[in-house]
Amino acid sequence: MNKDFDYDNYIAKTHFFGRTFMLIGIILLIGAPFLIGAVTGAKINWPGFANGVVKVLLIYVPSSIAEFLIYTPLLGVGAVYLSFLTGNITNLKLPCAFSSREIAQTKTGTKEDEIIMTLSIATSALITMLVIALGVALLVPLTPILQNPTLRPAFSNVLPALFGALGYQYFLKDLKLSTFAMVLMVVICWFVPSLIGQTGTMIIVLGAFTLGLAFVLFKRTQKKAQDLIDKNKSDNK
Amino acid sequence: MNNFLQIANSGILYLIVGVILAFVVFFCVFFLVRSYRAGVKMGMDKKLLRRAITSSATFTAIPSISILLGVLALAGSIGVPVAWLRLSVIGNLQYEATVAAIAAQGMGKALDASILNMSDLITILLTMTIGIIWSCVLTVFFLKKYTKKLAGQNKIKKNSNAPSFSSIAMISMFIALCAAFLGNYVADFIVNGVKVPVLTAIVSALIMSFFEYLIKKKGHKGLESFSLALAMIIAMCAAIVFSKILGGM
Repeated sequence: MNKDFDYDNYIAKTHFFGRTFMLIGIILLIGAPFLIGAVTGAKINWPGFANGVVKVLLIYVPSSIAEFLIYTPLLGVGAVYLSFLTGNITNLKLPCAFSSREIAQTKTGTKEDEIIMTLSIATSALITMLVIALGVALLVPLTPILQNPTLRPAFSNVLPALFGALGYQYFLKDLKLSTFAMVLMVVICWFVPSLIGQTGTMIIVLGAFTLGLAFVLFKRTQKKAQDLIDKNKSDNK
Repeated sequence: MNNFLQIANSGILYLIVGVILAFVVFFCVFFLVRSYRAGVKMGMDKKLLRRAITSSATFTAIPSISILLGVLALAGSIGVPVAWLRLSVIGNLQYEATVAAIAAQGMGKALDASILNMSDLITILLTMTIGIIWSCVLTVFFLKKYTKKLAGQNKIKKNSNAPSFSSIAMISMFIALCAAFLGNYVADFIVNGVKVPVLTAIVSALIMSFFEYLIKKKGHKGLESFSLALAMIIAMCAAIVFSKILGGM
């Protein structure tokens, strides 16, 4: 590691650029419907907007706060700015970043991890935008292929294909926690079938329980280790 | 094509969306180049940095097609440019489709191009944006403070020589993420008899275990960057076969 590199200055500038770009992004995104309205002569239906947005905010403001608190320690500074603006975090960015972390063998919160996470999320966002842009450009010739009834099951099962492979990799890291999380998810959905398909909500619920259990197990292991040290000390005496 | 879809798919809308997306692309490229240069200056191996980029690119390519399909699915009712914008920034397909429907219902309509007009479209777009913008707002105002707090906690832990909980927390969160999806497929099978997703996930896991065997036991390190994408493609092909045999269940 080069000790001349000013890492704190790098992070401070990442915050500066991230905030600036994010603010411009927010202004552009909120401004888009007004600009489209101005050029097409359409006006926002404010009562309709109020009616819809209240329901949406009730569901998504708590999950936005939870996502911010949970994903920030996992991703690092640069990756957080990129992830929140480009979206598709749980289903794409997070697995992608974690896969890069596995390959690079970096640890959460280290300087190297900050770099790998930013590279991974930026690349992932660019590839997604490229694929969508190419798809939109080829929309007419591609439509019959992509909407071909024979191929449809393949595309409607992208997430099972993704999480089957990732589940194999991560479940092996802690079988106790994995069994607990899987059983909890199946039992909850079994008793409340309306939660089937509500993976966005269930990630938060499951995350809280799994994190709680991981903490209890962590503390128990620490206590056992301490007891062993104390026992050895008393035996030596 | 009706009048609404003609305007919703017009060149001016493509231009507005194109400018916004060009800005997002600039943001990503800027951060990509900056972090790569910082990695080199820090003394990180250039090969490792390039590997992080190539593995992320191969990892993302296949799942991105599902997002493209989301654009196709939404484009029929709200036009291509707005669907393209919404699925390229913030949110995800599940969110966009749900909120577009809630916004249309809020105006006493349905997400159907034959009954929507341009006022409905910009109202839907504003609802979708305001509903999902909060993580970005929190990032602008609180990320700096939050990361400083997290760094402080890590320093305290490092100084006290206590083993770090952060790596365990990271693994447990990822286990929760996988379990939320995989448990959902198992529950869907038990409750509704839907077999294809759970079978696809099993095939994907088996293929991945085979690749892991080749990488770890047989030393085929070159497979590492492509193992996930290949496991996914094979499992997706298996999904076609399962659907044929089981009739879409």
